Parts: sequence; structure tokens; C-alpha cells
Amino acid sequence: MALLLLLLQSWSDWAPFVFVRDSKYGMPVVQSFHLMGLTILLVTVLLLNLRLAGLGMSDYGLSWLARQLKPWTLGGFAVVIASGLLMFLATPGKYLGSHPFRLKMALLCLALLFHFGVVRKFTAADSGARSRRLDVIVACLSLTLWFGVGWAGRAIAFVP
Amino acid sequence: MSLFEWCQWLQHTRFATAISESDYLFPLIEGSHILALPLSVGMIVILDLRLLGIAFCDGPAGKLVLNLLRWCKLGFAVMFLTGGLLFITQAGKAYGNVFFRAKLIFLLLLGINAVAYQKLFFPKMAMWDSASGAPAGAKLCAGVSLLLWIGVIVCGRTMAYQF
Repeated sequence: MALLLLLLQSWSDWAPFVFVRDSKYGMPVVQSFHLMGLTILLVTVLLLNLRLAGLGMSDYGLSWLARQLKPWTLGGFAVVIASGLLMFLATPGKYLGSHPFRLKMALLCLALLFHFGVVRKFTAADSGARSRRLDVIVACLSLTLWFGVGWAGRAIAFVP
Repeated sequence: MSLFEWCQWLQHTRFATAISESDYLFPLIEGSHILALPLSVGMIVILDLRLLGIAFCDGPAGKLVLNLLRWCKLGFAVMFLTGGLLFITQAGKAYGNVFFRAKLIFLLLLGINAVAYQKLFFPKMAMWDSASGAPAGAKLCAGVSLLLWIGVIVCGRTMAYQF
């Protein structure tokens, strides 16, 4: 870990990282992008899972909605990852030892695996004969994981 | 008592200090405020994109409004409640902050924008909503809404760095 930190810190003198770390508005600007990406990413995940659970967007077909939301989910994700990576590489020392950050990364991996492994399959075709209970469980799990990522992220500022 | 004095008084009430001194309440309220973004602003963005003809264009926009409304109302209820509580705990610091003032102005403009849409384009929605796209004015409202919400997020995030 100490070696990794040393390696990361040797990069962190690159001008964009210096801007993010040391200028007055660098970090707020990058975090604003992080929040805008989060808004788009999570609203698409939310709408898809609400539809899967039968709690919203009921006037739209499940597979149609999944196809419509997909590019926005990916777009929001790209913005969140790019801005997150920028923050991480600019101030690696703040994140490497942080427990909430590790939890956030673990939850992020689980959320991604669950999204592409399970949710995508459940929303690829309109549900048909599948049991409603299973749909609800999948939707709840997916939302718990994604919003868990958000809560763990917020905790970085408050918990060592 | 001036408005500034009132803000300072508010920040030092027992209720406000109880929140800001609690290990859990402040992070919990702030976290809820941020994670209600997709539920509130996110839903409005979806609707704006539909009105602009960029996404979710299957069927009328009115149908989308009806499907989003219930969750969107819940999202904004959480936003205003948590936002109000955050303000109470930091009222004195927020009062003179230029980003906080800009955020309030953007929110006021968003309210005016929403009322303008409601009065000018909503009553005739049935006429333009089916086949053709939204009229230019309605698209303008949607574009203005998108820009103002970006401003609200940027100001909201930046103001916290100045406290």
C-alpha cells in the first residue's frame, strides 16, 4: 500500500491533478461533475428498478425502457468514473487509507456485477411468466447496492 | 432584527446546534440531500430531455409526466426538508455566501420557469403532444431548466467549501 501511494503521488504533480488539488475551485468543480453524473446514473437505475418492481413507469414496457435508459446509464457512469478518478489521482493519500472509500469500491464492484449479470437479464425481455416476488427482490438488491455506493462515498468526508 | 441577525440566531438555536453537533444527524441529512438528487432533479432532467426531443420519445410527454410525478414529488419533499434543516444549522454562514445566494436565485428562476411552462404550454399540451414535437417555447423552458439545475448543483457543492 505504501509503495502504491508513493507511485500515485509521483504522478500527482501533473497539471490537471495540481489544479484539482491546490486551486480554490478545482475540487468543487470536479465534485459538481461527480454529482451531475450521479444524478443521471442513479435516476436511470432508479427508473429501471422501479419499473422492474412494478412501482413506477408502468405505462412503458420493461425492455423498451431498459433500451432507452441504457445510453444515459453508461453516460452518467462515464462522467462519475472520470471525475472520481481525477479526485482519486489528485489526492490519493486521502482515499487509499479511508475505510468508507474501500467499502465504496467494493460496493461499486458488486453493483456493477449485479447490474450486468442479473438486472440486464431481468430487463432484457418483458417479464412474462416470471414471479413478481423475484423481480421485487432483484430491484431492491440493485437499488441497495447503487445507493450504498453513494452513502459510502458521502461517508468518506466524515469517517476515517 | 435584521435578516442576517435572524440567520445567526437561527444557527445558534438549540435545535440547530443539536443537529450540527451530532455525529450522525448532520452527515445523515447531508447524505439524504445529495442522494435525493436522482429522485428529484434527475426526474426533471428526464422530462426536459423528452421535451427537447432527445430521449424517451415513445408516446406523449404527458404520459411521462404522469409516470414520474409521484416519485418526483417525494424527491422534492426530501430535498426541501433536508435542505431546510441544512440551512438552519448553517444559516449565519450561508447568509453572506455568494454561492448560496446564487443557488437561491437559480431556484427562484426555476420556479418562475415552471409556472411559465404550466401557464403557457401545459393547457394546450394535448394539441402538440401527440405527433409533432413540443413547440419552441416549451423546448426553451426545458433547456433553461437543464442549465439552471446544473447551476444549482454547482453552487450547492461549491458553497460547502466556503464554510
